[in-house]
Amino acid sequence: MQKKLLEIKDLTIKFHTDDGVVEAVNKVSLTVHEGETLGIVGETGAGKTTTALGIMGLVDCPPGRIEGGKIMLDDRDILQLDEDEFRKLRGKEISMIFQDPMTALNPVFTVVDQIAEVIANHQQLGEKEAEQKAIEMLELVRIPAERAYEYPHQFSGGMKQRVVIAIALACNPRLLIADEPTTALDVTIQAQVLELMKDLKTRSKTSMILITHDLGVVSEICDQVAIMYAGEIVESGSLEDIFENPLHPYTNGLFGSIPDIDKEVEFLSPIEGLVPDPSDLPKGCKFHPRCKYAQHLCSVEEPVFQEYSPGHYAKCFVYEGKLPAKEVKKYE
Amino acid sequence: MSNHYIEVKNLKKYFQTPGGNLHAVDGVNFTIDKGKTIGIVGESGCGKSTTGRLMTMLLEPTEGEIFFDGKDITKLTPKEMVEYRKKIQIIFQDPFSSLNPRKTVFHSIAEPLEIHKVYATKAEKENRVYELMELVGLSDRFVNSYPHELDGGRRQRIGIARALALSPEFIVCDEPVSALDVSIQAQILNLLKKLQLQFGYTYMFITHDLSVVKHFSEEIMVMYLGQMVEKAPVKELFANPRHPYTQALLSAIPVPNLKKKKERILLQGEITSPINPRQECRFAARCSFATEQCRKEVPDITDLGGGHSVRCLRIHEI
Repeated sequence: MQKKLLEIKDLTIKFHTDDGVVEAVNKVSLTVHEGETLGIVGETGAGKTTTALGIMGLVDCPPGRIEGGKIMLDDRDILQLDEDEFRKLRGKEISMIFQDPMTALNPVFTVVDQIAEVIANHQQLGEKEAEQKAIEMLELVRIPAERAYEYPHQFSGGMKQRVVIAIALACNPRLLIADEPTTALDVTIQAQVLELMKDLKTRSKTSMILITHDLGVVSEICDQVAIMYAGEIVESGSLEDIFENPLHPYTNGLFGSIPDIDKEVEFLSPIEGLVPDPSDLPKGCKFHPRCKYAQHLCSVEEPVFQEYSPGHYAKCFVYEGKLPAKEVKKYE
Repeated sequence: MSNHYIEVKNLKKYFQTPGGNLHAVDGVNFTIDKGKTIGIVGESGCGKSTTGRLMTMLLEPTEGEIFFDGKDITKLTPKEMVEYRKKIQIIFQDPFSSLNPRKTVFHSIAEPLEIHKVYATKAEKENRVYELMELVGLSDRFVNSYPHELDGGRRQRIGIARALALSPEFIVCDEPVSALDVSIQAQILNLLKKLQLQFGYTYMFITHDLSVVKHFSEEIMVMYLGQMVEKAPVKELFANPRHPYTQALLSAIPVPNLKKKKERILLQGEITSPINPRQECRFAARCSFATEQCRKEVPDITDLGGGHSVRCLRIHEI
């Protein structure tokens, strides 16, 4: 058994706005082992990015507030750290790749300066040495050293994302959080970036949390998968568990929504309805208004997130045996 | 005179830039039959959206002809064009920026009806708006909502209702689902398909996502830097892609299936500049099969029969 690196327990994050309380993340529990990649999958508003910002200590406060739970990095609860201590951690032990490489870089600094900044801050190196190391990082992400002194606008989208990856990896973090790292890129460039990330992962043994809405990307790179819906994890397990034996109706619905390139179908089988408003979540199971299998029970009581086979968890009454056994169809 | 419903001949659009002529669309030919769908696939900057805009005459072509039901619409006077505008509609990519934020759902959908003065009485117009809303699956209670109150899926439904308002015959769908979540994407794709079966629309479906067009169209044209690189009926293209770019594009799609992991063809480098392109195969810089000759001449289109054509010099060797 690998060692646990990060363990999140019952993390709850709420935003207090003028229009009411937005329950962005509700009692989320996750574990990332050393050298492992966890994929967090969900649609817009599922709370994936907020969870990541919670781990990074970057939730805007106010209006956001972490209302409960623990985030254990090794044996330390990082939620108890003060801002100074957190700064030492951020970028060095945990770092993040943001979704949009076009806005994540500072347009008035050269790329080498932006990488050297992280290194100089965390590793007590002189200017020259930090710069040297920054150039090495650029080469690691396959950008030729002679382009180091250029500005972000001189780079294409794919190259900017490589620079962002280089910044995130500059201090050899133990945990890397990648928030939709390829969503803004073209398919052939996405393939290049995914290949690079896979390569870096096997080489440096960094643990990773990959946030995405694309199940295809997950199947390429992840070992563990957690499916999020309306601020909760509805199912989690190994890659094989989720892809070959999905339990939750939402997971099945997600698979049914994707046009499969190897199959001929006249119509797709989407999930009807819309993601609920996080400031006005439904009672009971959060998915019940869209669920084909929902019964009265689902609208009054909340199912328990429990284990059904080793490491494979789901949150649904069908598996608790509380609903008349109607089998959830695989991929609908 | 051909008997195709839509026929595009040597369509070109160049934009003047300080750096020279930007060849956005550079000599594209294709035909679409009535009630069918052609998928236009390519990455950012390949000219697929420009092609869509040319088809709807939102941009004037630099060169080339677009025959719509036998008539060349590029030669029409603005007055004659008004009639054709009713028949040719477009659904835009981004439902967040394509709707007027100051108009309610009702006014957005009624706008095309008012511009073309389709209905004499207010009651008839109102009926049509409600009918359209039902058609695209928007519930009545949103009739007085503003776009900012609605989510992306519903906004895209307004965009679709607007396009359908004048009972068009040909609809250009410019990445209609790429700004939407997966579960909503499938809803919108099903809606577009259902409408086609119901009303016999002809679609031109522009996307960067091959798995979406596979589900949707009869024929696919792959574009690269303003040119067609491969065109084939959908089954043929997926079973037997011939151009190195199409092959790489197909292999680059991450498939959510653990058992079908395929060998990936990784392309080197990135798309080159469309400004004053050199006399060479435009894909040569990224192609692993490229030879000296590919860098010297522009390849012609080879017809492989069965509607399959490819633009590659080494087609018979690869």
